[in-house]
Amino acid sequence: MQDVTNLTKTQLDALREIGNIGSGNAASALAQFLNRKIDMAVPSASIMNFNAIPALVGGPDKTVMGIFLKVMGEVSGRFLLLIPEKTSLRLLHTLIPGCDIDSPLKMGEMESSCMREVGNILAGAFLNALSVITQTPMLNSLPSMTYDMAGAMIDSIVADMTAISDKVLMIETSFIESEEDLRIHIFLLPDPNSLQLLLQKIGVC
Amino acid sequence: MSAVIPVGMGEMKIARSPEQLVVYGIGSCVIVSLYDPKSKAGGLAHVMLPDSAGLDRNAINPVKFADTAVQVLYDALTASGAFKSSLIAKIVGGSEMFPPTEDFENNIGRDNTEAVKKALKKAGLTLTAENTGGRRGRSIEFDLESGTIKISILGEEVKEI
Repeated sequence: MQDVTNLTKTQLDALREIGNIGSGNAASALAQFLNRKIDMAVPSASIMNFNAIPALVGGPDKTVMGIFLKVMGEVSGRFLLLIPEKTSLRLLHTLIPGCDIDSPLKMGEMESSCMREVGNILAGAFLNALSVITQTPMLNSLPSMTYDMAGAMIDSIVADMTAISDKVLMIETSFIESEEDLRIHIFLLPDPNSLQLLLQKIGVC
Repeated sequence: MSAVIPVGMGEMKIARSPEQLVVYGIGSCVIVSLYDPKSKAGGLAHVMLPDSAGLDRNAINPVKFADTAVQVLYDALTASGAFKSSLIAKIVGGSEMFPPTEDFENNIGRDNTEAVKKALKKAGLTLTAENTGGRRGRSIEFDLESGTIKISILGEEVKEI
């Protein structure tokens, strides 16, 4: 198993670059189905203490929409989208004609299904790009969604990755629709035991 | 204004009235709380995983694991002067945040809860109250004056145990 704390700068740069390509593809998918221009923040690939992740989206008790998918294939991992309340409502109002709910807590089956599909499309686009670069098929699981405290979601997702080390490797980016300041945060957490293979596939092992 | 002390994932904190211990955004983790009403001292352990079996005991953070955290919390609290005989144990957390799909099932919250209960039993501590399971995240405030734990869940009334 590759220890994430031993990653070199070159390896992190390469991981950031695949994050860039994956999120670029996901951003165009989002732009297409919203019919809007979407800007993308420069992705980061970093080794983080798991305790520090919730701060990236406003703190552990910040309520956000979370869409979680497993990455399946030789290179496996976890894919998490965290979407602030304002953005998730905007997405729902845009994508579902006649939808006018004012809180994600009021989402029904139609709204939930719509948000899961957003997750499916973004993860699919992201992983497709990665599969092409690494020449390794990576598929996403069906998405699971919840609206709750960011810290509660993150602890559930990283818990079993942190048995030995407090550090996780995270590729992170956000999409911004500048006119309205809509944001979507994307986190990709490769499983520690498939990290070696991922590095090999991108030629930096 | 008395001190409010946050307890992060994998952390343990001991405090005494008038201090308060707080935890924000608990998902599948389980918070173990021990409280001594005589000395008004208490502690929280923020447990993330059920079992440390097979891992090097010297290399791990014992607070992360249910099977080791209970004893560590008990030792720290009694070392700080709490009375062993009067300790009250409560637990909070252990939810499954993401509903299972065809491709995955996530039982870590349930496993954490069961493992913590087992560890409490092994340490001879009686579980007085719990608020566990379900699909929602929780935040808690532990008041060391009364020993009460206030539980906030999104969209629900505040509960006390």
